[in-house]
Amino acid sequence: MTSTTTEIISTKVNPGVIPHLHIWEWHIPLYLFLGGIAGGLLVITSIMIVLKRRFGIGPQDEGDGCPCLAVRIGSILSPALLGIGMIFLFLDLANKFYVWAFYTTIQPTSPMSAGSWILLAFFPLAILQAMLVNKKFLRGLNIPIVSKLIDWTEDHLTIVALLNAHIGVGIGIYTGILLSFFSARPLWASSILGMLFLVSGISSAAALMLLFAPDREKPVYSMIDANAIWIELVVVGLFVLGGITGPANSSGAMMHLIAGDTQMAGMSYMLWFWGIFVALGLVIPLLLEFLEAAGVHIRFPQVAPVLVLIGGLVLRFLIVFAGQTYHTFM
Amino acid sequence: MAKQKNYGMVIDTRVCVGCSACVYACKSENSVPDGYCRDWVIQETNGTFPKLRMENRSERCQHCANAPCVTYCPTGASHYAEDGTVQINRSRCTGCKACIAACPYDARYVHPKGFVDKCSLCKHRTEQGLETACVSVCPTKSLNLVDLNEHEGTAQQMMNGKEVYRQKEHAGTNPSLYWISASNKPGA
Amino acid sequence: MNMSHGQDFSRRDFIKISSLFLAGSAAMSTQIGRTFNGSGDALAATGEERVVHSICEHCFWRCGIAAHVRDGKIYKITGSEHHPLSNGRLCPRGTGGIGQIYDPDRLAHPLIRERKGGTTTYRKASWDEAITLTAEKLYQIKEKYGPEAIAMMHHGYGYTFFKQMFHAFGVNKFAKPSYDFCCGPRHQGYILTYGHSAGTPEGIDIQNSRYVIFFGTHYGENMHNTAVQEIAEGIRRGLKIVVFDPRFSTLAGKAEKWLPIKAGTDIAMMQALMHVLISENLYDKEFVEENTVGFNELWDEVREMTPEKAATITDIPADDIRDIARNFARYAPAAAVHPGRRTQWYADGTQRVRAIAILNALVGNYKMPGGVVKYQKYNIAKPDAHPHPHFEKEIWSKYPLFTDIKPENTIASHEIIQQTLQDEIKAWFVYGVNVPETVTMGRKTAIEAMNKVEFLVAVDTLPMEVTGYADVVLPECTYLERYDDLDAGRPYRTPFVALRQPVVEPMFDSKPGNEIARMMAEKLDLHGVFPDSVETYLDNRLKKEGSSLEEVKKTGVLLGKPTDLYRKPGEKLKFKTPSGKIELASSKMKDAGFDAVPKYVAQDEAPNGYYRILTGRKPMLTFGRTANNRFLGDLPTAKENEIWVNPDIASQHRLEHGEYVHLKNQAGVVSEFPIKVKVTERIRKDAVYMVHGFGHYFKKLNHAYARGASHNELISKSEIDTTVGAVGFQNNFVTFIKEA
Repeated sequence: MTSTTTEIISTKVNPGVIPHLHIWEWHIPLYLFLGGIAGGLLVITSIMIVLKRRFGIGPQDEGDGCPCLAVRIGSILSPALLGIGMIFLFLDLANKFYVWAFYTTIQPTSPMSAGSWILLAFFPLAILQAMLVNKKFLRGLNIPIVSKLIDWTEDHLTIVALLNAHIGVGIGIYTGILLSFFSARPLWASSILGMLFLVSGISSAAALMLLFAPDREKPVYSMIDANAIWIELVVVGLFVLGGITGPANSSGAMMHLIAGDTQMAGMSYMLWFWGIFVALGLVIPLLLEFLEAAGVHIRFPQVAPVLVLIGGLVLRFLIVFAGQTYHTFM
Repeated sequence: MAKQKNYGMVIDTRVCVGCSACVYACKSENSVPDGYCRDWVIQETNGTFPKLRMENRSERCQHCANAPCVTYCPTGASHYAEDGTVQINRSRCTGCKACIAACPYDARYVHPKGFVDKCSLCKHRTEQGLETACVSVCPTKSLNLVDLNEHEGTAQQMMNGKEVYRQKEHAGTNPSLYWISASNKPGA
Repeated sequence: MNMSHGQDFSRRDFIKISSLFLAGSAAMSTQIGRTFNGSGDALAATGEERVVHSICEHCFWRCGIAAHVRDGKIYKITGSEHHPLSNGRLCPRGTGGIGQIYDPDRLAHPLIRERKGGTTTYRKASWDEAITLTAEKLYQIKEKYGPEAIAMMHHGYGYTFFKQMFHAFGVNKFAKPSYDFCCGPRHQGYILTYGHSAGTPEGIDIQNSRYVIFFGTHYGENMHNTAVQEIAEGIRRGLKIVVFDPRFSTLAGKAEKWLPIKAGTDIAMMQALMHVLISENLYDKEFVEENTVGFNELWDEVREMTPEKAATITDIPADDIRDIARNFARYAPAAAVHPGRRTQWYADGTQRVRAIAILNALVGNYKMPGGVVKYQKYNIAKPDAHPHPHFEKEIWSKYPLFTDIKPENTIASHEIIQQTLQDEIKAWFVYGVNVPETVTMGRKTAIEAMNKVEFLVAVDTLPMEVTGYADVVLPECTYLERYDDLDAGRPYRTPFVALRQPVVEPMFDSKPGNEIARMMAEKLDLHGVFPDSVETYLDNRLKKEGSSLEEVKKTGVLLGKPTDLYRKPGEKLKFKTPSGKIELASSKMKDAGFDAVPKYVAQDEAPNGYYRILTGRKPMLTFGRTANNRFLGDLPTAKENEIWVNPDIASQHRLEHGEYVHLKNQAGVVSEFPIKVKVTERIRKDAVYMVHGFGHYFKKLNHAYARGASHNELISKSEIDTTVGAVGFQNNFVTFIKEA
């Protein structure tokens, strides 16, 4: 067959759609990142609570049923970060006055509709957990209604935490599912994206906790982080493999991500993916934490968790952007 | 009771010259903002000199029977109308843009006023028994509004014995737009 | 860089109309422009809709339109279902009238050129002032140099009133540039052969044809509504299309066979087709014997042009030539060679059209279904002519076959340019012709002439380049705001008279041409040229046809009876030629000292590294008339012109698809603005292609300014077809100058 060329002349113009999708800018990746961390924090903190209360495993708690400091802070940060994420989500809406429309219907086939309700369900229990783990402080404030709420529920913290562990997983996965339902966008249309965002959310959450945990609590989060990174590396590998071994749509989209020269903030996707996300965001912190666990003194122990957080953020940006800049399902 | 309509289009690319009258007619009919379009025209040429072949076609929302935009819409703003078309209820649209990402045809856009917009198959006209703006202006009659529920109807007659395709059928969208391929021999 | 517009000339500086005098800054500016920016919402509008049926002015085809008005504003224009040429459908340009009427760059007031100190500027004038000055100047020039020193150049259907006014004044030097480089040769070529014009729409029964051959005509890019409708209908019914064109046009994309013929060799190809038809006995012998003269002379001429010989000239294989000739004969009489439209490419345009007419005659397709037909005009009574002074000449052109029917024009536009340069013409009245960008011997010569002419009046709706050279600028309102004369000039299956009527009131301080002409007539003391109002005039004309203005205003047309197009068996055919037959060898040509039978003459070859410029148009644009139309210009395909370059040539010149280059022609003229390169398989290696009508250099055309490159600017060589006086310009060549 002789070589053939295709010339396409199109009158199509639509801002945000042509030449490629550009409907989501920084708001959505940031929301996905914060949502992932919120989910991760909820998973880690609730599991820590359950482990401590049921099995006595974990750092020493602070007495009166209040867990260790990192869990206390993490429990507060989880709903707080998700709340901030939702502000970004709101800011992204093009028709903000109609945001109420989310909550006047349940669209069973729409992950976004499901998500908007899940997000609502998340807050009461996550906030309750945050209150219960900080009850000592809250009681000190002497707000009758708060104290009363704590009185009613404090005995059920384990159950609240158990539920929250599941909700946390749900939120983490949901941030990925949100994209992977878009079968029209080949990069996103991967069922493993939910898993990837969950694991990345957990590793980022562990990294965040590592930053504010007191020294004696750090080893636990370092271990969680290292394990999450390990799993994340595997999931990333599966995500990439699943893409490049897939049909033309998926492999093209995956190559667009991992070998693409499309620019994001002045650097190619390929560099962002391998250089920043994989090397700087996963491999190097994993090595650092491994060395630290092996007893090597690391001069700046904050480096590893910060890199993990950067990696997590970059992942969301990369996936959201590369998914948009690649053409639709052909 | 009148039989339920199921509007679609048969687009004869054999005769389309890509003049874009459909695009302009739509712009003025539907006050489509400058720099936006609800329908568009593609001129595709394949081959190498001097063995070339060309297809011109007008494209727009495919009014899928299984529309990913409707599936994904969190508020029900995107919905199936009783005439088989996919419509947007502007007063329920949050501008979340999920439908834009969901559409395999890139047929939607965010209107400068905030809501998501696309071809409505001129529902305000078909309700009055008129054809869509694009169909009514088309100098070559490449564009044809059809009722797909009409058994052995115009659509069938137009497509019989010809090479006809739909776009991205394998996306499972069951689109309501049919193209008569330009590769049909004259008089097919 | 070689700036080839008027800045170098001192006598008549090109002056820029201050934006203060444009519509954009007029009081109504807040109201305009909103119409097509999407802030209006047709669905939400509650106002009553009013529909006015009129005729379009985006091209000469003049389709029927239906203008839809809400809240006093036209929000859309559709095809009139009553008008035979639109059949309820419309081309993109027609829908774009809203972009013309609501153009914020429109001329809003009469302007008068004024010298103050060392500078020349325009000042806003009242209509009375502007008309008085115009009348005085024209009067003085006529007194001093005679009426032949005044010439009108016109384009567009509103010129008729000015023609009446000038006739009464004793002036009859009129030119229509489009006749000279577009329709003239075709018109005359057909008349010389068949005794009647090819017509607009062309008399080819396309929708019933089985096989139509096109030579370089670009239907589909030329959106001549009815013709495109018929081609589409033909394709649905099984029409086979053959296209000879150096470029893979949209029409070539519809063709069963595209033959990338070498530009300038059409006549050789046509002769070869004739050669096959005759040598293989495929022609309609009976028809030729009975209805034609000059067969032997024809055969003598084409005897040598074998397909093999033609193949070496045209780059088309001999077998293809034979195939096409045989198919043409096989499908005849339901087969035709289309006369094309803009047919004047070289100095042999008239002969080329004659060759097409001859090919048709050889297969006997005259007045046969699917062949050549003669559409009929509505035979409307002429308006009562106002007596006029004796004209020194009825036709001013020096070319012997300039025109054979009572003309809308009496001289070629390039003759006006030349007579101006030779001091014979002193005053120009320019109606709707953007002289510097209209192909009358290229931009440079046109500007030289404008610098020389003593008095120049421009009537226009927009600040086109020509207005920058005028002494008086008279802002006409657009075709959507005025009456024009009745249009009975288009022959078709159903003859008709069409009405142009105002849809809305004239905007700003613009006036309809009929009113401007009336004011001038009054000022020149020519009373009674026009009835008291244009409505009376139109009503009088329509009453003679048993109708009335009131009646015709409803649908915009007065229909005649559908005509019988086909000949009856045994019908004797008569032709209005000197011999009464189809003249394969033209006696008029012979008598005037030209070749009686079309001869092939080789055209100039491109200098090394240069490429022949071919030109055409985009379907949504009509050259200058739509250049500043923001509504039409909104599509990405309408924003600029591109230079089409074959991939091999692009790589030789290291051109990237999408990059901008300047073009330089064989005379060293460099395009003022850069043009985008389109590397495409769709063109031969020895030619490039660019759409005409871009690269405007007048900044007051806010939308059009500096979009793409000007084709006219790159024309340094024109060739006159000395039979008809038409001007060809395709022996111009360009090369590329990469951006530094």
